[in-house]
Amino acid sequence: MTAMVKAEGVHKSFGAVQVLKGIDLEVAPREVFCLIGPSGSGKSTFLRCINHLEKINSGRLYVDGDLVGYRQKGDKLYELKDREVAAKRRDIGMVFQRFNLFPHMTALENVIEAPVQVKGETKAVARERARKLLDRVGLADKAGNYPSQLSGGQQQRVAIARALAMEPKLMLFDEPTSALDPELVGDVLDVMRGLAEDGMTMIVVTHEMGFAREVGDSVVFMDDGVVVESGHPREVLTNPQHERTKSFLSKVL
Amino acid sequence: MTLKIEKAGPVDAPPPAPDKIKAIPVRHYGRWVTAVITIALLALLVSAFARGDVNWGAIPDYFFDDEILKGVRNTVWITILSMVVGVVLGIVLAVMRLSKNPVTSSIAWGYIWFFRGTPVYVQLLVWFNLGLVFDYIDIMPIYKDEWSDFMTPFLAALLGLGLNEAAYMAEICRAGIQSVDEGQTEAAHALGMSHAKTLRRVVLPQAMRVIVPPTGNEFINMLKTTSLVIAVQYWDLLQATSEVGQNSGATAEMLFLAAAWYLILTSVLSVGQFYLERYYARGSSRNLPATPFQRVRANLLSFSNRQGGAGA
Repeated sequence: MTAMVKAEGVHKSFGAVQVLKGIDLEVAPREVFCLIGPSGSGKSTFLRCINHLEKINSGRLYVDGDLVGYRQKGDKLYELKDREVAAKRRDIGMVFQRFNLFPHMTALENVIEAPVQVKGETKAVARERARKLLDRVGLADKAGNYPSQLSGGQQQRVAIARALAMEPKLMLFDEPTSALDPELVGDVLDVMRGLAEDGMTMIVVTHEMGFAREVGDSVVFMDDGVVVESGHPREVLTNPQHERTKSFLSKVL
Repeated sequence: MTLKIEKAGPVDAPPPAPDKIKAIPVRHYGRWVTAVITIALLALLVSAFARGDVNWGAIPDYFFDDEILKGVRNTVWITILSMVVGVVLGIVLAVMRLSKNPVTSSIAWGYIWFFRGTPVYVQLLVWFNLGLVFDYIDIMPIYKDEWSDFMTPFLAALLGLGLNEAAYMAEICRAGIQSVDEGQTEAAHALGMSHAKTLRRVVLPQAMRVIVPPTGNEFINMLKTTSLVIAVQYWDLLQATSEVGQNSGATAEMLFLAAAWYLILTSVLSVGQFYLERYYARGSSRNLPATPFQRVRANLLSFSNRQGGAGA
């Protein structure tokens, strides 16, 4: 079985600053994979490399067996054209810390935008599925609202529905609850838990240790651009082996 | 853990509404004083003009004169067309300027440098006199003519004003595009949208909120700048009024008439701009600004409240 995501020695730097210093990991299909670690440890950057929002400097990154951002012919790498990169991204959903809903469109219009514009679905078909998705995230009655009329938690759930509308095989969550009021976090995590139960492959950058422990199939602790420790959430979170993991967990738990 | 709170008393009895505050509002005496002074000064000005050596009767006589109306129509027409050229080309230039492609961004930079750096009056004259450089225009299969027949006053005016405007619109559009949060582009890209789709569906509609107000300004400016097309002998409002003025002997009167027409046209444009801005504000603010009618109604209501409050 090919891994959904496979990283081999992934390096990334912004100018002189090295953010990722050789990441090796594998995410299996249907796995819920949690990335934890202090800010600036490179978790979000790694996530953004997976759908090529950031270019990696060295190493190899595969999604579903395909190289991200390049095509290999013999021993030569060819950069993919923008159009080809865009086509690959269709299958990877992404949810952002700050939602990034399109503010000039209603919730429903946000959800149907990509299916209609990218996949060429008819509006009627896209609308029907969008209503089901909004219902699934508990916002069936908010379809006609603009993002500014929704709470943070509602906006984030619309954003999840928007990503799901493209029927992705992989979902990336970039600290999906970090910008939310504490009382709104639960609704978003419930939606994510439901997705996990349906067998979606998910990579989740999070500070919600409870979610990682209950829903995660594996947890990776990153610090300073490297993977420090990884394994089953129960082991990593309750019985960390490494000093840095211990000190991090003692601060957040 | 959830607690169920039993409400005491019957449910259908609404709580008594609290008494509204009745207070005498602050009196703004300064406003009355400045209003009286302003009206007095205006009255002095009006009486000075009324007693001056101006044949005021000539203005209503010629206000709807055929030649003048033709000038008004042409002024409006050339304003709209030049702005269309300016806005469309301006957006294209802004996108080119922001492109990763060094060739297109240099072309846009050069265009803006040239057309913003020379006076529009000079550009109009240059277009009109390009016959010195090109004897013929020859677009092989479609069109061939002598330059002087091709470059009519209308075309010279349109090119001169429109191409100049595009340089300014390009800068306005660039500011608008850059004002849109980068997260929007990322979200669109993450959904698999191409650069072009992202620009057209996500970035530009949001940029419009920043682009529209200065564009309205440009529109009003353009309406007045069209008075320069007298340089290429296009029959605009100013040209019409000065011809009529010379023929009728009421030269100064016709200038007042032109000013009145320009004022009417710019006022109409201002109203259009207000509603356009309101349209592009949707989704970005919870409460749209009130239309003038709504504001008048609200003012009348508060006025009646004030009197009622003081009386009660």
